[in-house]
Amino acid sequence: MTVGIFDGIAQGFAVALDPINLLYVFAGVLIGTVIGVLPGLGPTATIALLLPLTYTIEPATAVILLAGIYYGSMYGGTITSVLLRLPGEAASVVTTFDGYQMAKQGRAGPALGIAAVGSFVGGILSVLGLMLLAPPLADLAVSFGPPEYVALTALGILLVTYLGSGSPLKSLSMAALGLLLATMGQDPITGTTRFTFGSVALFDGLDFVAVAMGLFGVGEILHSLERTEKVQAVTKKIKHIWPTRKDFKDSSGAIARGSVLGFVIGVLPGGGGVISSLASYALEKRRAKDPSRFGKGAIEGVAGPETANNASSTSAFIPLLTLGIPANVVLALIFGALLVQGITPGPQLITEEPEIFWGVIASMVVGNVMLLALNIPLVGVFVQLLRVRAGILAAFALLVTMAGVFSVSNDSFDMWVVLVFGVIGWLMKKTGFEPGPLVLAFVLGEIMERAFRQSMLLSGGSLGIFVTRPLSGGLLAVMAAVVILSLVMARRRRAAFRQVDPEDEFGREDGTGPVEGEPGLSAEPATGRNARHTSDSTDSDAASTPGER
Amino acid sequence: MSTSAPAPAPARHPRSARSQLHRIAPLLLLALGVGALLMARDMGLGEFTAPGPGLWPAIVAALLTGTAVVLLFLDPAEDYEPWTAGTARIVAGLAGLALFVVLFQTIGFVVPAFLLLLAWLRFLGGESWRMALVLAVAGAVVLHLVFVVALGVPFPAGPVDQLLGA
Repeated sequence: MTVGIFDGIAQGFAVALDPINLLYVFAGVLIGTVIGVLPGLGPTATIALLLPLTYTIEPATAVILLAGIYYGSMYGGTITSVLLRLPGEAASVVTTFDGYQMAKQGRAGPALGIAAVGSFVGGILSVLGLMLLAPPLADLAVSFGPPEYVALTALGILLVTYLGSGSPLKSLSMAALGLLLATMGQDPITGTTRFTFGSVALFDGLDFVAVAMGLFGVGEILHSLERTEKVQAVTKKIKHIWPTRKDFKDSSGAIARGSVLGFVIGVLPGGGGVISSLASYALEKRRAKDPSRFGKGAIEGVAGPETANNASSTSAFIPLLTLGIPANVVLALIFGALLVQGITPGPQLITEEPEIFWGVIASMVVGNVMLLALNIPLVGVFVQLLRVRAGILAAFALLVTMAGVFSVSNDSFDMWVVLVFGVIGWLMKKTGFEPGPLVLAFVLGEIMERAFRQSMLLSGGSLGIFVTRPLSGGLLAVMAAVVILSLVMARRRRAAFRQVDPEDEFGREDGTGPVEGEPGLSAEPATGRNARHTSDSTDSDAASTPGER
Repeated sequence: MSTSAPAPAPARHPRSARSQLHRIAPLLLLALGVGALLMARDMGLGEFTAPGPGLWPAIVAALLTGTAVVLLFLDPAEDYEPWTAGTARIVAGLAGLALFVVLFQTIGFVVPAFLLLLAWLRFLGGESWRMALVLAVAGAVVLHLVFVVALGVPFPAGPVDQLLGA
């Protein structure tokens, strides 16, 4: 087995160091950093917008590019969090707590430097873990039959709905909608057309790329355009980016713990990004001799979460590359990109498409080295990107989206699909429904249906097959545990997210105070929710520093 | 309480706008779920031993219906963002985008792209006329070069394409 791994790694580097792939790794991490810096365009939107491009290139190159954008954005998001208290993407929200305080104390340089170093260490350690853990996991997964796939996809969807940032019930509802949308077009087994309303354009179902581009690309651009925030330019020069020996000494423990924590959380479906950085921040604060330093510019509070979010964005590839289950929305998009290329990620990927499997892994090492090299000297340049006005960015992004989606199958019907889903995505954002679970479920829908029907044929129509087989039964047991835990978790998570941005919470109360008086006593439909709302508010009042848990 | 008019002060989260209106979303989902259930039944559910084309859609639609019913009663109203003056601009922008697709189908890419960029940058982005003009011309030409010349995407031919000799 170990020999196989070393062969694989060698093959991977052969793929990753191919000049064309090197160019795409570079393009990926550069684009990722840029969009991480630009508020209003996150990794999901960008990857969705670039999906059409991936049709024209090799599958391995496509995933290398998209992966580069994903972890590149983790680096880029740090820059605005530290300098402007504006998280460029969700996972770097935590960095604003201490990073911005460091910047106010004139230590923006070391904050960015330690974040880059931590991200690098976390990324590399996570790649090593990926190399060691993925092949045995894939070996195990080869024995999976249809019932296991039903359980696994159901678990994946469930975890994403529960661990996402929105209300679990609303996310579950969106997941159901995604599964329903996935059934449009021809029945995978009998070929009967379903929900096509007589339209020939719908015979093949909705195009995944068009749906994703609409919901994430157009929807998010519209949503961010509505909030016209003025971004002030950063004119101060950033000095001393390379951290001092003391900085390294202070943060080495946080980086080590962040790497492990991020790796573990990233592997879990629904993990990655925000959860890992929140968890790392909480851990560092709990471990600290003097927790009161946190929120006032503690370097561990930057180093730990930044390390963890990059480690998790790498390890999140493990379930995709070994089980064929995307752990979060970004990976669902990468999954979709591979499906479009005619490759179904799963346990066979490592043996059937080793150049993709090992090539992507090796490219992450290369990409992380590039990011470290880019970030330390070029922070000042990236900051200048904030001068690009949101209106200009949105106009061009929308036009590229439209042209891009047309290019996928040279069909203007897809442009309408993007437009319709763009409106839906924007309305979903406005009404607190997460588009993530919808897209994830849409991607997994066909696999799930096929596996379900095959299971039914296997078992002769008995639903017991899901419970009696040890692996699928075990997975279902995990699902049950998740549902039970979520009742406890939902409360704690809401509190955690409330504390992520205490100012917003106060702003909300200020805004509503004069209108309706006590926020907790307003006419809301569910009394339980009211009680929860008030208790959360008092929680965050009592703990005036963010990230108590 | 239940009016959709924006709050007088530009409060960030006016509660008044959303006491009942927010129920529209779960109601829509509910209608969608029930509709899909009925259609799935017509497709033929089959049996668990021999699933018909409608069985899986019916299961999924039942899940959607179920969650929508619960949401009708349990949906936290605080999730809903208020409609603002910015909303009207977004709707205008969307109408522009739809017009772009219509024009694109008839007269090709370059002219509608120029018009879309110009209108968007000037009216939604608030750029000066000169800036908007320069960016719109440059944007339309560059994107034409990227998509048509470099990537070889067959956009519908229009008047400008003949001039450019594409």
